[in-house]
Amino acid sequence: MAEELVRMEHISKFYGRVQALRDITVGVRYQEIVGLLGDNGAGKSTLIKILSGVVQATSGEIFLHGRKADIRTTADAIASGIETIYQDSALVPQLSITRNLFLGREPIKGFRLFNRMDHALMDQAARALLLKVGVTKDIPPATAISALSGGERQAVAIARALYFDSELIILDEPTNNLGVAETRSVLNFVRNARDSGHSCILIAHNIHHVFQVVDRIVVLRHGTVVADDIDPRKTSIEEVERIITGPDAAEP
Amino acid sequence: MLKLVKAEAGSPPPVRRPSRLLRLLSRPEVGPLILLVLELSAFGTIRPLYLSPFNISNVLDFTVELGLIALPTTLLMIAGEFDLSVGSVFGFSAVLMWTLFNSGATSLGLAFVITLAVAGGIGLINGWFVTQVRVSSFLVTLGTLLVVRGAALYLTQGFPQRTWSAAGSRLAAVLAGEIHIGRFHVYMSLFWFIVAAIVLHYVLAETKAGNWIQAAGGNPGSALARGVNVGRTKMVLFVLTAMLAAASGITSSIRTSAANPNSGTGYELEVIAMVVIGGTALTGGRGTIIGTVLGIFILRSMHSGLVMIGVPGLAYEIFVGAIILAMVALQAWLDRRQQAEG
Repeated sequence: MAEELVRMEHISKFYGRVQALRDITVGVRYQEIVGLLGDNGAGKSTLIKILSGVVQATSGEIFLHGRKADIRTTADAIASGIETIYQDSALVPQLSITRNLFLGREPIKGFRLFNRMDHALMDQAARALLLKVGVTKDIPPATAISALSGGERQAVAIARALYFDSELIILDEPTNNLGVAETRSVLNFVRNARDSGHSCILIAHNIHHVFQVVDRIVVLRHGTVVADDIDPRKTSIEEVERIITGPDAAEP
Repeated sequence: MLKLVKAEAGSPPPVRRPSRLLRLLSRPEVGPLILLVLELSAFGTIRPLYLSPFNISNVLDFTVELGLIALPTTLLMIAGEFDLSVGSVFGFSAVLMWTLFNSGATSLGLAFVITLAVAGGIGLINGWFVTQVRVSSFLVTLGTLLVVRGAALYLTQGFPQRTWSAAGSRLAAVLAGEIHIGRFHVYMSLFWFIVAAIVLHYVLAETKAGNWIQAAGGNPGSALARGVNVGRTKMVLFVLTAMLAAASGITSSIRTSAANPNSGTGYELEVIAMVVIGGTALTGGRGTIIGTVLGIFILRSMHSGLVMIGVPGLAYEIFVGAIILAMVALQAWLDRRQQAEG
């Protein structure tokens, strides 16, 4: 077995003539939480979009378990065990918790007229999952997402990743707009996910949140990796901030 | 946290009953249902003839034809798109089928199949521009509205097409045959409308496709990230809408024995009004077929009722507009209340 769950090698990405990523090589080990940091425009989201199949790299390769993987669509990424939770678009607000949990992977019942969904199985699974994630135990699974708080929404999104046993969970700004208590519980979910065998990539503007939970920090600047092995236990936040902004930060 | 109205140490069973009633009342179809019942009882009281089998049969004739367009439009609007070209497709399809048949080029059955295929092609073009070229469906279908209407006018040089040769044809009987049930006379189109309503309700509420339709309109980014093929879902709905608009136009031409290149003008707005009055969000993501069925009947029975109580037919649109304003205000209010509870 390879040492790393995911490895991206020599990834470059052009949007027209603009180069968003230059020769990025970075990996995520088994049961590891990696914090991906960088200023606006550093290339974090482009890198994540490539890994989750939203866009394709101009050049470079992705390896899963040491084997070359072909990720062309979001469906490919999900089938390969990569689950991405975007900050605003993780869930469909108008749909119920149950329908969101199974969106894109609806279980079909034996009676297959137009792919009828297996509502009984979906409801049962949603109920069990909501109990497991704790914060949401009072909420019926038929509740629309729009009626949930920000933290509850993150909980549902993370619960979904756990339910489908995704090997890599990518969280894009999961603590944005959350209160102190909810932030703490979301970071706890991330820890629990790792402890139960998943790997995570965490993107967050709030470096304090990242420091609380990650095992390793990778920093991008201007589309390149400027540091890929920062240990948050041995490094200060100020130091990481300096790496993020770079030596030219003093200039306007 | 959800604010659940529930006493911590209260006895649970008696508390649940009113909450179930409340949940039933907060269903999106309740507003339109109340409106329809009020409307029918008001007109029925003023003019008892309004509820006579004869009048009900008359109202149904055209109602179900428009309804056949409103049903797929509901799914399309839940998926977050519009189709303004349905009125043009309605008129164009009838003249295309009759032109093909009258010219002797094809049998009536073949003309029908070709017309449905052409309508499907119009839907594909709408869908392609919206999902691939990424132009707003409002603009795309405004374009096809003009192109298709223009094609109907050019094809016929503006003249209505002969349709009376349909008498005795089996296709005409299946699409628009007349049936007498007691003192009611109905057309086969009522049957097709009911079938379409049941099938589309089932698809929307029970199937994977229904989940995808709601997700595509509710939050396309999220749907995409989950591996939902948003583009293909919308494409299928554009094709379905155009084909049912064509079926509706053909049915109507057989029933009225007229295939006029101008018919269907303005239907797109009436259809959208029906869907919106039925509780479908203009912004997509939310709506039901039951609501649309109610919306269809609200508008068409109002039309008949206004005529019967002596309001000039030309004033009809004043009432349609007023009801749309009332319904969207009600929806906005319900949304705000739901947000406040969340």
